[in-house]
Amino acid sequence: MTVIRTAVCCSDRTTGSSAALNMPYPAWTRGIPPVMEGCFSTRAQPSQPLSGRPFSSSPGGPEHICFSSSPKPGTDSDMGNQLRAIKQATLTYDTLRFGEFEDFPETSDPVWILGKEFNALTEKEDIFSDVTSRLWLTYRKNFPPIGGTGPTSDTGWGCMLRCGQMILGEALICRHLGRDWRWVRGQPQKEEYISILNAFLDKKDSYYSLHQIAQMGVGEGKSIGQWYGPNTVAQVLKKLAVFDSWSRLAVHVAMDNTVVIEEIKRLCMPWLDYGGGACADPQGGMSEPNGCLEGACALAEEETALWKPLVLLIPLRLGLSDINEAYIETLKQCFQLPQSLGVIGGKPNSAHYFIGYVGEELIYLDPHTTQPAVEPGEDGQVPDDTYHCQHPPCRMHICQIDPSIAVGFFCRTEDDFDDWCARVRKLSHSRGGLPMFELADRQPSHFSCSVDVLNLAPDFFDSDRLERFFDSEDEEFEILSL
Amino acid sequence: MPPFERSQNPIPFKQRKSLATRKQEVAGIRSKFPTKIPVIIERYQREKYLPPLDKTKFLVPQELSMTQFVTIIRNRMSLMQSQAFYLLIDNSGLASMSLTMAEVYKDHKDDDGFLYMTYASQEMFGHCVKNRSL
Repeated sequence: MTVIRTAVCCSDRTTGSSAALNMPYPAWTRGIPPVMEGCFSTRAQPSQPLSGRPFSSSPGGPEHICFSSSPKPGTDSDMGNQLRAIKQATLTYDTLRFGEFEDFPETSDPVWILGKEFNALTEKEDIFSDVTSRLWLTYRKNFPPIGGTGPTSDTGWGCMLRCGQMILGEALICRHLGRDWRWVRGQPQKEEYISILNAFLDKKDSYYSLHQIAQMGVGEGKSIGQWYGPNTVAQVLKKLAVFDSWSRLAVHVAMDNTVVIEEIKRLCMPWLDYGGGACADPQGGMSEPNGCLEGACALAEEETALWKPLVLLIPLRLGLSDINEAYIETLKQCFQLPQSLGVIGGKPNSAHYFIGYVGEELIYLDPHTTQPAVEPGEDGQVPDDTYHCQHPPCRMHICQIDPSIAVGFFCRTEDDFDDWCARVRKLSHSRGGLPMFELADRQPSHFSCSVDVLNLAPDFFDSDRLERFFDSEDEEFEILSL
Repeated sequence: MPPFERSQNPIPFKQRKSLATRKQEVAGIRSKFPTKIPVIIERYQREKYLPPLDKTKFLVPQELSMTQFVTIIRNRMSLMQSQAFYLLIDNSGLASMSLTMAEVYKDHKDDDGFLYMTYASQEMFGHCVKNRSL
């Protein structure tokens, strides 16, 4: 008789710190000098007096050391590479400000940022303007305690939560301001923009504040202060978006590396009676074409009456300890899709928000800078300098990416989603690269965790009905039958 | 319910038995169940969140889809639909959920005749700041 184990993963009490101690780094990261590992600066304990911090390389400014480039795997013993890497990697916020940064490689390779292509030789200003316009959410300190008595800083544990905020922030920008909207320092703030910033301020009643994310994570088995993975934060954002009546987003998290088109259409058009087989016709004859999707205009209200703007998050695992190289081309292609919201993931232990790539390097925003929490001004404007990354963005070799990621897309209309499906299908049929996820028209049988399936499963294992086969070491096969 | 034991990682099946023994096992079971596929499912050595399975060796109907197979394993572990679970074939790629076991077997079976799969959830991200003296 087979005993079915019922241990659930959220019973795990692993704390952040012990997990870090046990976390083996790949060999190539061990070769990196300690200074390059440091994107963090303050201790996690919120009770520690912040004025007593020993680290003060850039007084008054954010403490920050970021990677610009790192040795490729397998070359860590190469002194030349290391020296070059050190030279490029020990840049602080200050040196960047003084313009000593060799910002982008002089390359004719295209630069892709969230579905837009740039030329690194002729469009450097545009690239930086685009990057700076993204919301940059970082560690903060001195915010109101989470849950009234909890942490007042997320340094050391909040990096994946911040990356989740960044990818959702990008979705809100696309939703309310348009992909081509640009931030200009000191310009008067549009009402929609202020509302977006307000959704991320570090207080308990902002839609997607750190407070909300940390507290909603309790339902996903994460106590406040515990580390998140890409799927954890995706699940939490999905729950929080329900309360954001202003944006009316449909957040879908596609599990088991499969995107089910029917499921998404039901979610984004809940008012339609989705009878069986309605998905056979991808256009469905459901709505008027929404016209030109290009351009920077925000989504008109009447459009949301046809389709709830979709935020599609696809958590994946592209390998065990390292990314399977067969996925690298497909990962790059994600940033080329016009619907791209980028990728949340990181290097082992450090979460990053990847927004694009150039050559073999990923371009990312790094949350590992602790900044003081921000209060809205009395005039209703929000001091927003610290919400935009005003130095050239960090880069890292694509092979360094941790295989646990979540890929994001924003589809403002049904046409936009159909276009995304067509592009993904085309990519999966093209040469090179292994598809990272699969598109399915409708829910395969036994897909969802329905009562049917739960009742069905024991039948598969009904040992009374099954023959048993014993091998020489008494290690038997579990025989599944249909 | 006590949490599952995380400390003990069994020696991988491939290292427990010689190639000859494994081949013999496959030949034996295939002759008895020619329409079923011999599959080895193991937990990723560094997995911290998913429980171990009480079985390593499975005989799976060849027409079973990967979706159905994953659902069976998920149910076995009592996972919620929102929990991350990935089956990596041959320690490298994610299996396409629409494929049948026979199709996956054809492309990925090992020299010994077994199909190897490893399951894992996702890594968590954060820094152990305490250990750093900056």
